[in-house]
Amino acid sequence: MSGPVGEERLADAAEAAFGAGADGVLVLAFHSWGGLTRFASSRIHQNTWREDVEFRVMAVADGNRTGVAATHSLDPAVVRRAADDALAIARIAPPDPDFPGLAPPAPVAHTAAFDDETANATPAARASAVAGALGELPAGMEGAGYVETAADEVLVCSTTGLRAFAATTHAGCSVLAIAPDSSGYAERLERRFGEVDTHALAGIAADKAERSADPQPVDAGPWTVILEPAATSTILQFLGYLGFGGKAYLEGRSFLTGRLGSKLMADAITIVDDATAPDALGLPFDFEGMPSQRVTLIDKGVARSVVWDRATAKKAGTESTGHGLPPPNSYGPLPLNLRMEPGENTLDDMIASTERGLLVTRFHYSNVVNEKETILTGMTRDGTFLIQDGKIANGVRNLRYTQNAVEALANVEAVGATTEISTEMFFGGSRAPAIKIREFKFSSTTTH
Amino acid sequence: MVASDIRRLVDRALDAARSSGASYADARFLQEEWEAIDVQDDRLQGVDRGATSGIGIRVIVDGYWGFAGTAQLTAAELERTAALAVEVARSSSATKAAPVRLASEPAREATWATDVSEDPFAVPLEEKIAMLLDASGRMRQVPGLGIAESSMDLWRRTSYLVTSDGARIDQTITQSGAGIRALAIGDREVQMRSYPNSFRGHFACRGYEHIRAMDLAGTGPRIAEEAVALLKAPECPTAETTLILDAPQLALQVHESVGHPIELDRVLGMEAAYAGTSFLSPPDRGNLRYGSDLVNITADATLPGALGSFGYDDEGVEAQRSNVVVDGIFRTFLSSRETAPEVGEPRSNGTMRASGWDVIPLIRMTNINLEPGDSSLERMIDETDDGVYMSTSQSWSIDDKRVNFQFGCEIAWEIRKGKRRRMLRNPNYAGRTVDFWSSCDAIGARDEWGVWGTPNCGKGQPGQTARVAHGTAPARFRGVRVGVRG
Repeated sequence: MSGPVGEERLADAAEAAFGAGADGVLVLAFHSWGGLTRFASSRIHQNTWREDVEFRVMAVADGNRTGVAATHSLDPAVVRRAADDALAIARIAPPDPDFPGLAPPAPVAHTAAFDDETANATPAARASAVAGALGELPAGMEGAGYVETAADEVLVCSTTGLRAFAATTHAGCSVLAIAPDSSGYAERLERRFGEVDTHALAGIAADKAERSADPQPVDAGPWTVILEPAATSTILQFLGYLGFGGKAYLEGRSFLTGRLGSKLMADAITIVDDATAPDALGLPFDFEGMPSQRVTLIDKGVARSVVWDRATAKKAGTESTGHGLPPPNSYGPLPLNLRMEPGENTLDDMIASTERGLLVTRFHYSNVVNEKETILTGMTRDGTFLIQDGKIANGVRNLRYTQNAVEALANVEAVGATTEISTEMFFGGSRAPAIKIREFKFSSTTTH
Repeated sequence: MVASDIRRLVDRALDAARSSGASYADARFLQEEWEAIDVQDDRLQGVDRGATSGIGIRVIVDGYWGFAGTAQLTAAELERTAALAVEVARSSSATKAAPVRLASEPAREATWATDVSEDPFAVPLEEKIAMLLDASGRMRQVPGLGIAESSMDLWRRTSYLVTSDGARIDQTITQSGAGIRALAIGDREVQMRSYPNSFRGHFACRGYEHIRAMDLAGTGPRIAEEAVALLKAPECPTAETTLILDAPQLALQVHESVGHPIELDRVLGMEAAYAGTSFLSPPDRGNLRYGSDLVNITADATLPGALGSFGYDDEGVEAQRSNVVVDGIFRTFLSSRETAPEVGEPRSNGTMRASGWDVIPLIRMTNINLEPGDSSLERMIDETDDGVYMSTSQSWSIDDKRVNFQFGCEIAWEIRKGKRRRMLRNPNYAGRTVDFWSSCDAIGARDEWGVWGTPNCGKGQPGQTARVAHGTAPARFRGVRVGVRG
């Protein structure tokens, strides 16, 4: 294949599931293809291409018993067997009084999210982009990272007449510039390969590595910090996982439980989830087929809402916001396209206004210490700098933060005017600006 | 055993790669079946059952790697995919590098399968759901409990690997696991307890007999009571003190601070941009003191029933047992056919595994074990005047060279004058890898040693999840920073 199979061919296979004799059938069909070229030690060392199809079928029996089965074949007969298997599971499953039923058809916005050049990018084009990035690195510096081009077709359809389809592309590149005792990092994710400037990324990474050479130790403790977008994104995505979902909210596990309407963060902080924003990488519908809605989660520091799927919305007496995950789903709804709205400050402004602080490029291996109190821990890496008297003074050895994320966002003093999409080790991407935070807590240091 | 028509397709894929210009090629068919069951309170959250199959073709052309994978198992699609793998490899020459050389490996034709007493996929689904509902129900009887969860995961991987070096490996690996978790929800905190281990339980390369032996329902009330009690327990104090870890937490400690840093691809910088590198370097073999004299660590893919065991890795290298740390001194890395020669090793020690047909194999932990000592948990506590005993992993974080770590546990108990005393909530501890292992002054004996499966080891881009394991017994460490706060 290696190109779009199209809505109709996916639908032909998916609708084979409808004949299984279930009370209702929901089918999620995914077709994905693309290449990932990784480099390290300034050479391409892992160069891969893959193509896959998946049909995930949920069958309903007796009104509220459900079963799910999946297959990785485009053959309608195989999809039908998956539906038979899903129905057999449903007939065994205990009734679920909270099952909201399958979603009715709903209009879904069309998004121009497919770029032919990205979908058809050749191995040679990716390799050339890598070579271009490596060419920007000065002598004595090594490069590592990836260049990816990928395309997806997603179809959600059901026996209720619901049918939603989207074709999307994305491209990404990260560059880690490695110097003898320092490193620098830059990453970019876009819909279109043509918008990923690997040369520029390498330039940023190399500059960070050069400026953080000979890193000096600093003490752990509370610091004024400026988090660049990748570091802000880590905080944002952990908050999304921990507290912005309707299930965690209803179960009392979310930091927002009982606090909607309360002022929790600084005035400058507004957080939304918006899959359909022009600069987002999301789908116009969720995996229940509901239209993806823009949801304001934090509005000028005030907690406003969480996101809902059909099951949690039914429990809460509200409507789905289009944030359902593929079935079976024990996590509940999650915000997969988080964004922190930009402010008015440049990074240079923030540095210039800092008498003594730390500039953090990104975090590494962050994790949850206390979910309801939103205490996180993780390391800095690839460009951590001491700011003295409004200027970057020197690179510093990396530190471990252990910090209440909500408290950190309450202590925000400035928000950057531009945003970037960044990935986080355990999650996908989110869009965030740089932010300046007072009294950000570092609990220990390391050797490099 | 892989069907003969699939074998013919795999052979054809290999031939197509060779005829397209590959100096080396391997083609790997993989079919993975899975079943996952989740219960929360008195509700079945879902049953997820499925299968995926496809063929991945890995080639070396003019000294450069290429790979392509497809789920479409037709001769025409495989020939197209093989040609694409070669095209990918040719593109790699855009960045000049020394040609890839593979350590030689004897050609083997072999069939290997996990020893399974009771096929977990053949156990009726009703029985599995009923067992999980019963376990969850027993936890829910404890007053004050917020949420009771139980889960089960089963996998069966059937693979057929052929290499242009002559390997023909047919392998079937069956893996099973289950667990329960009790959550007590307070105004500001959620406290949890898990059994037999956190993160969906206890996993092994065994059949349903592994799950039957767990007694999830019988243990449920105890862990539910502990979760509720934790909400009112005092917080673990901040101190530098003696730390005793239980075996499951030691498994996490070994995983993060030994298993990952000894991966030779990390050491050579191949994962630098994402998962990170390692504080270790090739000259450290035979020279670096990793821990105290008591610390002996092995990498053993041959342990019967352990989650990280197999017959052959995804390069066709037979499973091996290697001494990683001997009497505290670092000895060897986990390697592959490409990386072993780069550090002067004549042969891979057989750790290359791919999580699916659509991704390349990477160096992955097998069963990385802290070998037993001669102490016991009771003796360690009895000998400790002042300290903390922590149990069950809850949170983990370590830096990009695997030096600075901070790990949290579900529960702890204060130790005073040789006795386990009051329960402590939110226990955690921090340290640096070599300092920490050097402070080890007691390890439990064989009768307290067990192998703990880790089903969620992440690495690589695109992300791959490996199922690995760690043999551990309780152990004691002196002068550790506990109760770390922001």
